Amino acid sequence: MAKPPEPIEDVIPQATWVVDAEVLEVLATGPQPPKVEAKPGATSTGQKTASQTVKLKVTRVLHGEKVAELVVEKPEAGYALRAGNHGPFLIDSTKTILGRYGPDSYSFERIEKALAAKR
Amino acid sequence: MPINIGDRKLSTLYSNWERTAQPLGKDQALEILAQVGDGSRWNAASLLTELKKPGVSPEKQIAMAQAGMTAGEKKDIATILDQGKVPLDATARSFLEKVIGRASTPTPPTPPTPPTPPPAATGLSVTGNQAQGLSGVTRAGATIEAINITTAPGGRLHMDDTMVVGKADASGQFSLAKLTGEQQMREGDLVRMRARYADGTTSDWVTVKASGIEAKDSRNAVVALFRIGISDVGGGKVSVDNINASRQVSEPGAKLQFTNNRTGEKALVTITETGGFPAGFTLNGKAGDSFSIAASDGVNNTTFAQATGNVTVPGGAASTTDLIPDPALHKDELDAAGKPKFSTVNFTGPLFIDAARPEDVQQGQLGNCYFPAAMAAIAKHNPDAIANLIKDNGDGTYTVTFKQKDWATGKFKEVPVKVDGDLYARSYGGALYGHSSNSSDPKKMELWFPLVEKAYAQWKGSYNTIGNGGHVSDVFQDCMGVDASSMSLASNGERAWEQIVKTVDAKKPLGAGTFGEDQEAKYTNTGVYANHAYTIMGYEKSGTDRFVVLRNPWGESEPAGNGANDGIFKLKLEDFTKLYQSMYFQT
Repeated sequence: MAKPPEPIEDVIPQATWVVDAEVLEVLATGPQPPKVEAKPGATSTGQKTASQTVKLKVTRVLHGEKVAELVVEKPEAGYALRAGNHGPFLIDSTKTILGRYGPDSYSFERIEKALAAKR
Repeated sequence: MPINIGDRKLSTLYSNWERTAQPLGKDQALEILAQVGDGSRWNAASLLTELKKPGVSPEKQIAMAQAGMTAGEKKDIATILDQGKVPLDATARSFLEKVIGRASTPTPPTPPTPPTPPPAATGLSVTGNQAQGLSGVTRAGATIEAINITTAPGGRLHMDDTMVVGKADASGQFSLAKLTGEQQMREGDLVRMRARYADGTTSDWVTVKASGIEAKDSRNAVVALFRIGISDVGGGKVSVDNINASRQVSEPGAKLQFTNNRTGEKALVTITETGGFPAGFTLNGKAGDSFSIAASDGVNNTTFAQATGNVTVPGGAASTTDLIPDPALHKDELDAAGKPKFSTVNFTGPLFIDAARPEDVQQGQLGNCYFPAAMAAIAKHNPDAIANLIKDNGDGTYTVTFKQKDWATGKFKEVPVKVDGDLYARSYGGALYGHSSNSSDPKKMELWFPLVEKAYAQWKGSYNTIGNGGHVSDVFQDCMGVDASSMSLASNGERAWEQIVKTVDAKKPLGAGTFGEDQEAKYTNTGVYANHAYTIMGYEKSGTDRFVVLRNPWGESEPAGNGANDGIFKLKLEDFTKLYQSMYFQT
């Protein structure tokens, strides 16, 4: 996608869980979204990757109900997950990962500040 | 018009089926059940596994799904049954009807198949409407090629840059053939198609106006403003032509209204069959005049009330009445009714605080990374070019002078675009699209970058036009009037290094782009992002190690261990050539 992540102020209110977690396993992968036609070498074309269902091992819960594992969906987006990927995951009530780049969307520092401001 | 399914995951699933347009059977019905039946006990993936276990009866499957189904999800199934466009086979339909407690409707008798019309003299004939895709008759085994010539002008496609959408069967019939991506057919679109036979020859072209897809035609003709060449030919006349005649300005038959912003005079022209202007088309005007252009496909914008953009006749003094309206928002910032979600705020900060610096540039919520990456590169390596690009008119307006290459002569001509300080802004403050790092306050924010981006959007058509990807090197050409090029980095480490050193030492701008399709997974957790453009700030050497210094145009987000999170980081040459696909540079 190459758009910046959405402003965290817009995302935090939707988060049911904010966790520090690692991808244990990719359980399922959805169909590949249509290929975006673009000149070779073009960037920001909006090409998305398939949705994925992944199992997360949660090491820390920053917000939400305490959980040790979560099975969540990575929507069609400009990033993809594989086992071992880790970082802060913001997850909504439908167990869908928020943030345009999943665990690479926001630093822990920024998330903690936003959570503190929300409180 | 897509059907309205409330459950987001089910909606995504159904959209995927709409794209493939294959009839849905029992397996797909179980996938629907898995989506609606997930709940506290099972998520959708595990429920699907349970539903498909051997020995689970249809009654048990229905009970499992009903246990987790909400009223909204029940309604979603009814919507699929009653309004879904993807064909459901009788078994799947009956099954889903039982799930929502509806009495099974008898399957209507299959209407007799109409006699197959013979291929027309062209060798290809289209039958029916396009609700389920393109269908028709041609020679047995022929492949069907098509291009959407309503959307094509917005890209770089020629009118014969088709994609294969289907294949005729042994009786010569084809059906469910669909264009995808940006070319996906909508109601009223013009689709140009032909059949390619086994011997490599082709049928004549056939153009179809798509129907039966949506309730109404709501996509207007697209106009490629950047292909409109306009020049003073003397005698109070300006000529108008397509500067790249092999590609379209707009769809055949579309009407374009030109309004001279100085005199108010209007003129209409009809786009030709090849997507350009009639030979010898002229307007009343002179060098320096700007023309507002509005388009209509005969259904949309028939009063020409909505302008697409402006073109200016090069040369002469810039008109004092050519202030250009604000460019339209990107489609992502429009609501379901097509109304803008954001309004503008007048920004009155300084044009420059301490000259143009790459750190000033902050990409906004727009898919145009190539543009801020290029602007930061120009600011880094040739800041005088920025100072020459935008001028403060002293009256709250600014003139940005772009350069347009005349492909016939190879020379660049100036394209002045005059804008004011109005920028789309968020309700809680700050500009929505490109902004500057010093402040989000409308009275303090440094303006050169957001205003150049605004002018670029207006010149090219809208924020939507520039917000769906592009090339860093095109921006070097458009903003500096210089030739620029790109190179693939695959297995080209030494060549890339030589080019970086040569370009940086010559104080010329350069950038780099990461891989996109199919390679996104390798970027997660690296601090570098897929399908993204970066500024190359310079190079460093340390012993035998060689480093490329880069900047993320977001002004933040970088690999760990690179100091402050300001988007600036360095990579070893070997890592650079692994993570980056292309490099763009002024030649």
